[in-house]
Amino acid sequence: MEDMLEDTVLVNLRINGKLHELEIPAHKSLLDLLRDDLNMTGTHMGCMTGHCGACTVSIDGRVAKSCITLAATLGRAKITTIEGLTQDDGELSPVQQAFWDEAGFQCAFCAPGMLMCTTELLDANPDPSDAEIETALAGNLCRCTGYQSLRRAVKAAAKLKQNTREAAE
Amino acid sequence: MSLYPAFARPRDLGQAADIMGGLSTGAMIIAGGQEVMPSVNYGALMPEVYIDVGQISALKGIAEEDDGIHIGSSTVHRDVQDSEVIQSKIPLLSYAAAQIGGGMQVHNRGTIGGNIVSMHPLYDILPSLLALGAEFDVLRGDGETRVALADLMRDASHGLGSESLLVRIHLKPMTPGAGWSYEKLKITAGGYGSANAAAIVTLDGDKITSLRVVVGAVSALPIDISDALGGCRGQAWSDHLAEEIEEKASAEISEPLSDHQGDGDWRRAMAGVMARRAVEAAVEKAG
Repeated sequence: MEDMLEDTVLVNLRINGKLHELEIPAHKSLLDLLRDDLNMTGTHMGCMTGHCGACTVSIDGRVAKSCITLAATLGRAKITTIEGLTQDDGELSPVQQAFWDEAGFQCAFCAPGMLMCTTELLDANPDPSDAEIETALAGNLCRCTGYQSLRRAVKAAAKLKQNTREAAE
Repeated sequence: MSLYPAFARPRDLGQAADIMGGLSTGAMIIAGGQEVMPSVNYGALMPEVYIDVGQISALKGIAEEDDGIHIGSSTVHRDVQDSEVIQSKIPLLSYAAAQIGGGMQVHNRGTIGGNIVSMHPLYDILPSLLALGAEFDVLRGDGETRVALADLMRDASHGLGSESLLVRIHLKPMTPGAGWSYEKLKITAGGYGSANAAAIVTLDGDKITSLRVVVGAVSALPIDISDALGGCRGQAWSDHLAEEIEEKASAEISEPLSDHQGDGDWRRAMAGVMARRAVEAAVEKAG
């Protein structure tokens, strides 16, 4: 049985398109791995208990809270962080651009969660209702805005994405 | 013993049983981590060994078999919500899974098994599972045993024990035409409930022929109040019946929780309100 226990764990994570082969201690959260080991500090540390959503990343296409994700359990996951949202030419993604245009944030500490969740929402549902926006953002706390500007920004992002699609057609 | 925890990745149930059997204490089974990690970060839990059950295929997936519907314990809440089988055969569970707090991020990683074994008083799916008569396959040592959720909760230790692994959940399809509801009193969209209730009702004409009602988030474990409401059978919905359900449900809460979600007297009162609303909504849906 003892030979089944590992002190460190090998993971092969593709983070924002780049492969990282990492030997990590078992106790490390994905948040600590990103911020401390890989210097990717766009993902924020907030509550550490899974309430606030500031540490949100996307794991295999689904949003997750990195502070309550044990990195050793991820194996060969594909991860997108807020740093990976910008387009290849360095331009902001339509979701980022809409939040900027609409002044969606005030302090923007919650930006990783709001932007990652909005991105996933609009990929699956190009024209969400107010209720669907609230459900999608329910795992994120904002202490500045009262959420009205965030909802406005999500709607603007939906419109911007639609305009971009129509322009491409 | 290392200062840091060790890690084990069993590939199948046999290996998991070997590892669990070979460790004395301090091992923690982890799947999505949505229950374990907050406790670790908060300093309330310090595992010496993590047993990652995420590679074990026997714990994954939803299947419809001759004897009912099987849900692997490492199935995440999102997949329970989205499953067509569960939406059509057990809509109460699909709905309750969508009410779990913490947002989509938690729905995407949290597992139905982790939610169950934590037996947390404020979590959202135990009341529905109890109303649905859920049974579990539990791995202990070399063998699996079948145990009903209701029996598990009567056990004084309130859990499976550290040497056990929840493998899958068994549920019968709901009776066609049965009405159902899960009501949750909450302050914020993604938050915990201060009281909740799950109800399943069948009608003959406008008369109630059967009802199952469980209230949660008001005591250490959900309470099945179906027997206390037995007198509702044979009656049609009325204001008088609504009052009776509210009173009887509140009277069943002998030791209400009193915490930041609200004090005990209020929680007891709200248990009655949730039970009333849940039965009313279920009656409306039935038929």
